[in-house]
Amino acid sequence: MKAPLPAWLWLVPFAVIFTAFQLAPMAWVAISAFNVNGNWGLGHFQEIAQSAFFRQAIWKSLTISLVSSAIGLVIATLTCHALVRSGGRLRRAMIAFTNMTSNFAGVPLAFAFIILLGANGVLTLALQRLGIIEDVRLYSTGGLIVIYTWFQIPLGILLLFPAFAGLKAEWRDAASLLGAGRIAYWQRIGLPVLWPALAGTFTVLFANAMGAYATVYALVNTSYNLMTIRIANLVAGDLFLEPNLASALALILVMLLVLVTLVQQWLLRRSAQHGSR
Amino acid sequence: MAHAETLPAHKSPTAAPLSATFNPYAWIVGSVFAVLALPLVATLGYALATRWGATLVPDGLTLAWFVELWTTPRFVAAFARSLAVAVGALALSLVLVMPVALLAHTRYPWLDRWMNTLILMPFAVPPVVSSVGLLKLYAGGPLPLVGTPWILIPTYFTIVLPFMYRAIANSLRAVDVQSLMDAAQLLGAGPLKAFFLVILPNLRGGVQIAIFLSFSFLVGEFVFANMLVGTRFETLQVYLNNMRGASGHFTSALVITLFAFTLILTWLGNRQAEHTITEATR
Amino acid sequence: MMAATTPATQRAAPSTVPSTIPSSVQTTTPSAPGRQESGNAVSLRGLAKRFGETSVFADIDADIEHGEFITLLGPSGCGKSTLLRAIAGLTSLDAGSIHIGGDDITRLPPQRRGVGMVFQHYALFPNLKVADNVAFGLRMQKVPGDERARRVDEVLRLVEMQDQAHKFPHQLSGGQCQRVALARSLVVEPKVLLMDEPLSALDARIRRHLRDQIREIQKTLGLTTLFVTHDQEEAMLMSDRVFLMHQGRILQKDTAEVLYTRPRDENAAGFMGHYCLLDAVEAAPLLGFRSQAGRVALRPEALYLSVQGRPLGGERPARVGPGVSGRVRRHRLLGNIVRYDIDCDGTSLAVDTLNRSARSLLPAGCEVTIHVDLDEVQELDA
Repeated sequence: MKAPLPAWLWLVPFAVIFTAFQLAPMAWVAISAFNVNGNWGLGHFQEIAQSAFFRQAIWKSLTISLVSSAIGLVIATLTCHALVRSGGRLRRAMIAFTNMTSNFAGVPLAFAFIILLGANGVLTLALQRLGIIEDVRLYSTGGLIVIYTWFQIPLGILLLFPAFAGLKAEWRDAASLLGAGRIAYWQRIGLPVLWPALAGTFTVLFANAMGAYATVYALVNTSYNLMTIRIANLVAGDLFLEPNLASALALILVMLLVLVTLVQQWLLRRSAQHGSR
Repeated sequence: MAHAETLPAHKSPTAAPLSATFNPYAWIVGSVFAVLALPLVATLGYALATRWGATLVPDGLTLAWFVELWTTPRFVAAFARSLAVAVGALALSLVLVMPVALLAHTRYPWLDRWMNTLILMPFAVPPVVSSVGLLKLYAGGPLPLVGTPWILIPTYFTIVLPFMYRAIANSLRAVDVQSLMDAAQLLGAGPLKAFFLVILPNLRGGVQIAIFLSFSFLVGEFVFANMLVGTRFETLQVYLNNMRGASGHFTSALVITLFAFTLILTWLGNRQAEHTITEATR
Repeated sequence: MMAATTPATQRAAPSTVPSTIPSSVQTTTPSAPGRQESGNAVSLRGLAKRFGETSVFADIDADIEHGEFITLLGPSGCGKSTLLRAIAGLTSLDAGSIHIGGDDITRLPPQRRGVGMVFQHYALFPNLKVADNVAFGLRMQKVPGDERARRVDEVLRLVEMQDQAHKFPHQLSGGQCQRVALARSLVVEPKVLLMDEPLSALDARIRRHLRDQIREIQKTLGLTTLFVTHDQEEAMLMSDRVFLMHQGRILQKDTAEVLYTRPRDENAAGFMGHYCLLDAVEAAPLLGFRSQAGRVALRPEALYLSVQGRPLGGERPARVGPGVSGRVRRHRLLGNIVRYDIDCDGTSLAVDTLNRSARSLLPAGCEVTIHVDLDEVQELDA
């Protein structure tokens, strides 16, 4: 009889595939970002910093992501607050519906918005006939913020609702018996307790928006200047392919996400230390 | 009026009907619901309309667009490709993740901590960024996978890994796998036999949920499919994107079909979840 | 705010109060004689509450004296917690009025009632440390920082939690959490303290310890307290008086002794002690006469056993009923008491005897004679 195989051999297939298709591509991006015509250097980053075009892409990505995350977070917060105070049936129905819509993203979402708010969209025509609005520009920054916000809302609700459900009615009762009105309760108990969930949700929404590609691509192809569109165009576009430059831009994108996460962690730690003030 | 809501006794009886007509919370939930439903309703209306021009409501209702969609061979082929890739990726995930999760919950507890860190990576790195590396590594060289479905299957494995690992790990924790393995082996079953006869049946519920949810997630995947393979192996989402020039009614029918499909999958997953919970509490 | 106002005429607490009691709490002791003469601490008149079609409680009338410890005792769902919340102002009333210290507070919001409350699950604010949880009410009253710190420290000493002041609630055990919650409601010097099953979430040993501690603090502060529980033993051991609640009504308001030995009706008897309820016909052989009341309640310790004419246990009471024969079905050891279940012509009676030694236990099937102490028989209206 042959000796039994050591148990850790079972880990090898997983390790091989995960390395080849997750770690290796990441490593390649990190390394090739510094590869300037075969030499090590920061040339690609300099090029991005000096190019008004790339700076605009970064700026627009940041703007759309920050604005849509902020609006999405505010609407999700209000909705969760309302849901906690609504009846069980309405709450269950809304959570189920939110679950459904959170799956509705990317290309189908872009098409749905073209039908709703495109140049000949259903809502566009209706609003024009009612004389409320003259022209809806779905393909502008404002239009993209509307679409981004639309897909941030359900995600925000799903991430925030457990935290709101965890706010105990007894805390409110106890606070009111100790003399706190509604404002004092929210200022000293409600918001501080929710703060980690709010900060965490904002970070996830921001990362979600920064990395979004399918929706914009389906909507405007490559004609709107965002980081993800530029990265994709540099490796799979029609004209000049510059994979190393794409890596540099991709690395900047990842670093921005890491930065936001670190800021969030730092704020959380700070508020945990000073939470008693 | 900070205390209005906590004002207690002796509310005048006439106040009750007033609060019934205006409930700010129901109003907020209702308007968010309306905003979220609007694109879906418009698309559904468009998919069912004979013509919807400059009017508030469509001219007439028809199922013709759905019939046209389902009789288009290119669509059916794309659907089949999407299903095939998703099934392949999920099968690969099960085979790769199951032993890791099992070992992490029996022999190597440190592995669970490692895995919980590793599965965060797909969240930190957007698909566009991963594609940059994948395109370079597998466009040529010893493994020329780009342009074939074979690059999608392992790549999809990496993006469903977080769901799969968490689901399997949670199920393993719930059934206390170590005691079950010990008991089965004391009763004379070898480790492999114990796994297939005792552990696997107990994991079925939790793993099924993860499979349904991952499946709907993969059928909706566009970025990798478009950047790594494109029209050479046209999946559903890529097909939809390529149909942008077609009639709005036709693409609407396609969008609704896709949505209904993911809806059924998530519904099945959630039903399974409820089923598993009731079983567990019995 | 109103909760903190202290009558200038109030006298210092009696000298029997230990010197460890914080001065700020002492000076506001509501049981000071000056206040006692001004009437009851709490008066409830005709309180009623409905949820839709179902009545939660109705016709609640009660007076509580200054410094009294009152327990609202009743099974779950009897309306006792809702009544407590209505007194706190957390739940609206449909009818009736509440007076605290002579003032009508029926329409006041909870913030202005001068009422403190301790909840079953502590309700500590998770984002605040122990000291800041306790300081919360003082902060709302805009008490200056140094006075606030002094009073927080005093009250934390009172509940023996001064060493945990800088911990967060999640770092404390359940018993510690409840002591902090108690301190938090004491520090604002409420006129009345409400406690909603504060011991129910704790394990048995901690429950006993905290039970004694709460009663001791309440006595030394002379704090008027309304304590809700479903635990009969808790009610008997802690209270000056027990209000027994059943299906939204107060059945009986009496001291523990009276409630235990003289339950007013069947429901009261059913909830207190381990009364056997017999109808008049069933009870007649035991009593030796036919009771005029509809029902007769017998406590296990009011029944005496004899085996073959030899009395078991100690001294017999002066007036006993005629003996009735029965058969031991089984026995249960309750520490120093043995409780026998006796089959007695179709009815089952529980009889307590002192547990003297294992040899004297009666085996199942043993023939016995049962006598009843006629002075302890409760005749109840049907």
